[in-house]
Amino acid sequence: MSDITRRNFMKYTALALGAGVLGARAASGQGAPNKPARKVKHVARRIDYTKAKATPTICFGCTTQCGVLGWVFEGRVVRITGNPLDPNNRGKICAKANGMIEGQYYPERILYPLRRLGKRGEHKWKRITWDEALDEIAARMKKIKDSGRPDLMAVHTGRDKTQGVIQRFLYAFGSPQALNRRAICSSNPRVSNMSYFGEPVDWDTGDYAATKYVINFGSNPMEAHQGGMGAMQRIQQARVDRGAKLVTFEVRPSATASVSDEYFMVRAGTDGAIAMAMAHVILREKLHNEAFWKRWCNFPLDKLAEHLKPFTPEFAEKESGVPAKDIERIAIEWAKCAPACLTLINRGITKHYNGAHAGRAARLLDILVGNIGKPGGFTMTSRSNWKGEWGQDGLPKFGMPEPAPTAPAPWLPGTPMFEELPQKVKDRVKGWPEDMQKKYFGELYTPSEYPLSFSWQVMRVGQLVYPYLKEGRGRLELYFSYVFNAGYNYPESQLAREVLADEKLIPFHVAIDVVMSETSALADIVLPETTSLERWDFQVTNAYELVPFTGIRQPLTKPLGEARSVLTIFRDLARRVGGGMETYFNFEEDEQFYKEAMKNLPISWDELKRRGIYFDEMRSKDYELHERAVPEKEMEGATVDEKTGVISKDDKGKKKVLGIMADGKAIRGFPSKSRKIEVMQDLFPKAAKWAGLPESDPCSSPLPTYFRVPSHENMADNELHLVTFKWNVHTQSRSNYFKYQVEIVHNNPVWMNPKTAAAMGLKEGDWIEVSVKRPKGNTYRGNEPGFVASFKNRVKLLAGMHPKVIACSHHVGHWEQGVVATAKLSAEANGKEGHDPALTDRNLPDNIWWARSKGGPGNGVHINEVFPIDPTPLVGTQNWYDCVAVVRKV
Amino acid sequence: MAGQSSPLPWEGLSRDRAVAMKQAAILVDIRRCVGCHACGVACKTENDVPLGGFRIRTHYVQRPDKPTFAFVPMMCQHCKDAPCIPACPNEAIERLPDGRVDINKAKCKSDTACMDACPYGAIYVDPQTEKADKCNLCTQRTEVGLQPACVEACPTEALRFGDMGAEDSEVARLAAAHKAVAMKPDAKTNPAVRYIGLEAYMQDQAKGIQLGKGENGVLYEQ
Repeated sequence: MSDITRRNFMKYTALALGAGVLGARAASGQGAPNKPARKVKHVARRIDYTKAKATPTICFGCTTQCGVLGWVFEGRVVRITGNPLDPNNRGKICAKANGMIEGQYYPERILYPLRRLGKRGEHKWKRITWDEALDEIAARMKKIKDSGRPDLMAVHTGRDKTQGVIQRFLYAFGSPQALNRRAICSSNPRVSNMSYFGEPVDWDTGDYAATKYVINFGSNPMEAHQGGMGAMQRIQQARVDRGAKLVTFEVRPSATASVSDEYFMVRAGTDGAIAMAMAHVILREKLHNEAFWKRWCNFPLDKLAEHLKPFTPEFAEKESGVPAKDIERIAIEWAKCAPACLTLINRGITKHYNGAHAGRAARLLDILVGNIGKPGGFTMTSRSNWKGEWGQDGLPKFGMPEPAPTAPAPWLPGTPMFEELPQKVKDRVKGWPEDMQKKYFGELYTPSEYPLSFSWQVMRVGQLVYPYLKEGRGRLELYFSYVFNAGYNYPESQLAREVLADEKLIPFHVAIDVVMSETSALADIVLPETTSLERWDFQVTNAYELVPFTGIRQPLTKPLGEARSVLTIFRDLARRVGGGMETYFNFEEDEQFYKEAMKNLPISWDELKRRGIYFDEMRSKDYELHERAVPEKEMEGATVDEKTGVISKDDKGKKKVLGIMADGKAIRGFPSKSRKIEVMQDLFPKAAKWAGLPESDPCSSPLPTYFRVPSHENMADNELHLVTFKWNVHTQSRSNYFKYQVEIVHNNPVWMNPKTAAAMGLKEGDWIEVSVKRPKGNTYRGNEPGFVASFKNRVKLLAGMHPKVIACSHHVGHWEQGVVATAKLSAEANGKEGHDPALTDRNLPDNIWWARSKGGPGNGVHINEVFPIDPTPLVGTQNWYDCVAVVRKV
Repeated sequence: MAGQSSPLPWEGLSRDRAVAMKQAAILVDIRRCVGCHACGVACKTENDVPLGGFRIRTHYVQRPDKPTFAFVPMMCQHCKDAPCIPACPNEAIERLPDGRVDINKAKCKSDTACMDACPYGAIYVDPQTEKADKCNLCTQRTEVGLQPACVEACPTEALRFGDMGAEDSEVARLAAAHKAVAMKPDAKTNPAVRYIGLEAYMQDQAKGIQLGKGENGVLYEQ
């Protein structure tokens, strides 16, 4: 097959399917297959629901994982609706669910394995067979394995939701390098929760159905919140039907701010000051729950009062701009609703340099009033993996089929991996205690300057992978990307693309993707993945009804073209590599694998497939799990630590903690080390020491605290905060070829307060240039002078914008992902003669009214180049909302 | 957990499940709407609506009293004095037995008189089918007892479907209890669709369902 250019790329993706289906079409008497479709007048499809078949599955529109039904009519998936058996979304969906259908039948979907010709990113591809693709990749894997360094293979994922398939593949090979995106999103709020409870909570799953008062620190449950579907319906019901109150601290008029009973514009990065001041007020007014505190917290109240002393409402007003009297009033109102009151910290408040502590400060309010685990309060449901731990008594065990591969050995001093690290890193790690050293797997997976990214839970700092590869702090031979588009949506995405394009830094890149993205365009081999409507999977997630449940994803239709699931791809690679790797992928059909994973559920596989959801309605709600008794049977052979009361016993040579003694009773307590709420958390100062963070950096505080974001000190009058945000119809860069969603949001004017604009001589629709400075403080390239990058965009004036803040959404401004994402109209994007009619969309390209060529506003501006790689000290969360920008009219 | 024998809500749909109504309509509760567009995307997918045409559209309007948005979903109001019906020279617009207004595609000659007659901008002409179209409360769904796509999707019960002509129906009771009002009453079309929490400024800003001339955003003016 000869070289093909970008212009003709379509021929080798969706178009190429044509040959396979033409026979059937001709045979069915539909006439000549190459007659151009658009000359035939379209007849709008009317679904006949007596003939359509519904199959339950799981939404992949975002990561909330709602139970949905996929309706197939005349051989095609035509609708996604909610699965009423799902206790979280209760039969409801958001705008993203039906986008899965757009992805399924997108004319520019990748349907065949492709091999790069020419340079990376040149868009010259050759269609190859699966055997050619897998043989080449497996040969590279074998070579890496034979060299004794399996760690040189990595898989970098976005929110793939494969429940451990990625790690299984890597562990089976011997590599720890399951790189991810957690620092892009949730690692700070996880640390806020883990530091208290020893439990990351995944998302805040408060008991919204029974609450009376929610204080929301910059979260956005009505729009783009993980778990938003469950939260939004319960919060709105609580508000409208029961008079519950929602107060939001935000910088912009988000949908959540808009429906809130009170919205306070807060200066970016200062929510923590408000939370600390509220704690101050609650203690001062004696609205705290002393009995709860004494029973559960590891720090004396009088000392806490002393710690909170300087954080007065007046101090918080000075920092945040929110009036002291409102801070006081709300703190009192809220605390008086205890225990049916809660805070939301996932995640505006936490996406800052001070975010882990700001999140701690806000969660301190819940602890102070003792709403933890109470009806209407901050509740923690059983942990998501159902391993029979805390709060999971009586739940069936399920998970990945046995045998499971064992984790690779840590990179201890003396191992070849360790010895090739830069001297500075080696010196740092050698100074750590043994248990931390045993958690170390190199700088890509466990960056040594960010020990809190792997001390509780391995969260990783994905945005550092590219700079670290460039600087030689890690190296790779083979790199897979999956559900992942760093080339578009990572901070300093230009650096991601630079590294992805450099064959010295990433010698071989295999992208597993559905549509050519800014990242897969820089691959050497692109493997066509099945869509979420064509594959198997399962979900375990937070439970708003406070009863753990699970569900399965199942195919609604056969994969189009030659698309294969990631599980099948990994199985076939494992078989080719051999040497035992294949034993972890011992199945013929994906279904077998998942059937095995679910075998302990008290429901047959067929019934699970029929319902889509397993939910035990008879099980009691997960209120106050920490007060539950340790079952007597578990207590047999257990010992109690005299000093701490912690109950443990030997479990196959390992100490297993069961609970804590309280008033002579053996109860579960919290999953923290002390089984208590660790208000005083000594891991922060310890981690600071391990990381070499200067003692002066307040990120090392063992107590919840507030301090100003270093970048925000001494901002000049012409400098503004820049924040970014997500739209309710989009998920990162996943949804930008879903036509009905893009029709609603296809561009991203910069939101600005009208007064700010007037002072700059700007009016609605004017063009501005936004230039972002390098961050200050102890972060990556902190305190370097100069700017990261600039973008030009129009302004939209909104009175609800904080006058010192501008906001610009991402999602848009794509130059890959085809005609809907780019709004560059070309007839061949929708197929030419012989194109598979299943992948023809009568809307494309002519109905894309927002295209510039049609006089529309265009497809928006890509802004992720201006966001500096800016990890929070110790944790590594990307400080998306810390940017300081200079704006000028153009 | 229910056994294999009991049918699940989505199993065995048939036309026997259709619910007879005097006046089928939607009750919109502005207090609950979060502007999520679940309704709009569900509708477009369900009804094969072309880009650029809208059966339902949610406007983001700026509140006069607070610096935030209110969200106003608009769809065909299924007016009892529907001006589109007499406007059509081809008698293609019909009132169905349950009071809803529907376009008979077989009779439609894509005359645009109906579009001009509608004060809500409810009607568009599909560029590929060359037929006028608008919300018909998803007849293909209600005829088997399902709710219209927008209503079924709505996560916050901001949209409810029911019989506005039966006093004891949920929508009629709620409409009465909350003094639900009609959108743009000055047009004197006597809409069957009713709104809870609709205020004058919302009606001023939420001009219509289709994109107006020069209007280049779905959410708000850009």
